[in-house]
Amino acid sequence: MDPIIEVKGLKKDFKQFEAVKEVDFSVEQGEIFGFLGPNGAGKSTTINMLSTMLKPTGGEARINGFDIVKSRNDVRNSIGIIFQETTLDDKLTANENLMLHCKFYGVDPSIREERIREVLHIVDLADKRKQIVETFSGGMKRRLEIARGLLHYPKVLFLDEPTVGLDPQTRSHIWEYILKLKEKAGITIFLTTHYMDEAEICDRIAVMDHGELIALDTPYELKNKVGGDVVEISTSDNEAAQAKIEQNYERNVKNKDNRLTFHVTKGDEFLVQFVREFEVPLHSVNLRRPTLNDVFLHLTGREIREETASQKEIMKRNMKMSMRKGRR
Amino acid sequence: MAGIVAIWQRDVLKFFRDRARLVGSFAMPFMFLILFGSGMSGAMKAMMGGTGASGPLRDFDFVEFMFPGIVGMAVFTTSIFSALSVVQDKEFGYMREILVSPISRMSIAIGKVLGGSTVAVFQGLLMMIFVPFIGLEINLSIILRLIPVMFLVAFVISSIGLLIASTLKTSQAFQMVIQILIFPMLFLSGAFFPLSGMPAWMNVLVKINPLTYAVDMFKKIILQADQMTPALKEAMGLNLSVFNHTITFTEEVLFMVAAGLIFIILATVSFSRTEAT
Repeated sequence: MDPIIEVKGLKKDFKQFEAVKEVDFSVEQGEIFGFLGPNGAGKSTTINMLSTMLKPTGGEARINGFDIVKSRNDVRNSIGIIFQETTLDDKLTANENLMLHCKFYGVDPSIREERIREVLHIVDLADKRKQIVETFSGGMKRRLEIARGLLHYPKVLFLDEPTVGLDPQTRSHIWEYILKLKEKAGITIFLTTHYMDEAEICDRIAVMDHGELIALDTPYELKNKVGGDVVEISTSDNEAAQAKIEQNYERNVKNKDNRLTFHVTKGDEFLVQFVREFEVPLHSVNLRRPTLNDVFLHLTGREIREETASQKEIMKRNMKMSMRKGRR
Repeated sequence: MAGIVAIWQRDVLKFFRDRARLVGSFAMPFMFLILFGSGMSGAMKAMMGGTGASGPLRDFDFVEFMFPGIVGMAVFTTSIFSALSVVQDKEFGYMREILVSPISRMSIAIGKVLGGSTVAVFQGLLMMIFVPFIGLEINLSIILRLIPVMFLVAFVISSIGLLIASTLKTSQAFQMVIQILIFPMLFLSGAFFPLSGMPAWMNVLVKINPLTYAVDMFKKIILQADQMTPALKEAMGLNLSVFNHTITFTEEVLFMVAAGLIFIILATVSFSRTEAT
C-alpha cells in the first residue's frame, strides 16, 4: 500500500527565517505518527502546510495521493484537523457546530443525524448535544472538536498539540479517545506534541528541532539509541564524582540541577556494583528507563522543556496572549 | 452551493440569537428618528418658509421626510457591521474551521454577504413598526417593492463591509474604520436633511456616495414620490441629478447592481487572500 502521507523536500521560509528546512518523511495508513519538538521547532508550520493552510516555499507533499498545492480541495476532503486553539463557535450548540461541519464537507443529509450521534458517542458527549458550547469546559470543547474532525470520515486526522492547556486527567482521557479511534476507525493520526510522555503512544516519532528532522523511529528504537538506562545520582561532591565516573566507567556525565545523569546498559546489575564501590558519598540514587525526554536531550543536548523558542516565537505568543485578554 | 447556504445560515441564526445586537441595531435609528427628527422638525418647517407657508410646502413634514432615511440608516449600519463577524471569526478561530473545509473562498464570501444582507433587510422591515406613529400610510404593495430594494442596497453595503473586514485582523480596527466611514456616508446621503444648496465639493461626495441613491430609492417608494406635487418633490430633495440629468429609479437600480457587482468581486478577491494562520 502506498503511504498515506508523502513529504519530499518540503520547506517554508518566513522572510529571513527558515521555519522548515527541506524535510522528508512518509506516513503509512493506520499509523499514529508523532511530531515531537520544542516550541518554534517548525511542527505547526509543517502541519499548516500539509493541511493546505500555508503554501510551501519549496518541495512537495501528497496526502491520500493528492498534491497539497495542486489539489487542495481533495486534500481538504481527506483530512480532519484539530488545531491548537479552539475553533468552535461558542455561541452555537454542539449539535449546530457539528451540523455546520457536515454542510461544509458535503456530508449527505440523510446520514448526518447518524454520523453526529456516532462521533458524539465516541467522545462521550451524547448527552451534551443541545448545549451551547460556551458552557463547556476546556476538555469538553477539545472532545467536541475531535468529534467534529471525524464527521466527514477523514483518512488522516491532524492533531496539533491536542492536550495543551488541559489538566492531566483530561489529557489522559483525550488520549484514550484517540487510541479508541485508531482501533475502531483505522484512521491515520498525525499529531504534534511537546509532551514527551504523550509521544510514547505513537507508532513512530519524528523529532524536529530548528526546522529539521533530527530523528525518525519507533519510540522503542529511539530510546535504545540513547544507550541503555538512565542513572541519576546526587552526591556530597558532584564535581569529584563526575570526574570519577568519567574516568572509571567511561561514561558521558551531565551535571544539572545538582544531579548527575548518565546512561548505562543493564542498569540493574550496574547499580549494585556501582553503589558498593563508589568512593564519593552518595545522597540519592535513581535508575529508570530512558524517556523521550532523554532522547531529545541526547539528540540536541537540550531538554525539551527548556523553552528554546526563538525571539519571533516569543513575540508571537505574547501578542496572542494580549489579544486574548483584550477579548474577554 | 450548500456551503454558501451553511455560511449564510450560521450568520442569520446567530443574529436572531443575539438579543443585545437585535436591540442595539434597533435603538440607534429609533433615537435618531425621535430625538433628531422630532427635535429638528420645527426648525426645518421654519426654514422651509415658516409655519404660515402657503401652498404645497405646507405638506412638508420633517419626520416623514426623515423616515426613509432612517430605514436607509438601519439597513446601512446593519449590513456594514455584519462584516464584523468575519473579523470576529478570525479572532476566535472559527475562520480556520471554515478555511480548512473544502468550501471555496468565493462561496464563503458570498455566503457572508448574503447573511449580512438578509439580516439588514430584516432590520429595515423592523423600522416599519414606526409607520403608524408618524402618520405615514404604507400598504403591502409598498413593502413588497421595498424588500428587493433593501436587499440590493444591503448587498452593496455588506460587500463593502467584507472588503474592509478582509484586510483587517482585529475587531477594534474594524469598528474604528467603520465609524469613520459611517458618519460622512450617512450625512452626505440625504437621509437627515434635503441635499440642496451645498458647496460644490460636498456635492461631488454626495453623488459618489452609494448611500445617496439608496436613500433616494427608499424615499421614492415610501413617500410615493410619483403622487407628489413638483414643488414638494423639490423641497424633499427628490430631484437628484447628476450632470443636470435627473436620475430615474431604474437608473438607480442599475447603479446599485453595478456597485454590488464591483464590490462583491473586490471583496471576494481580497478575502481569498486570507491565510488561515
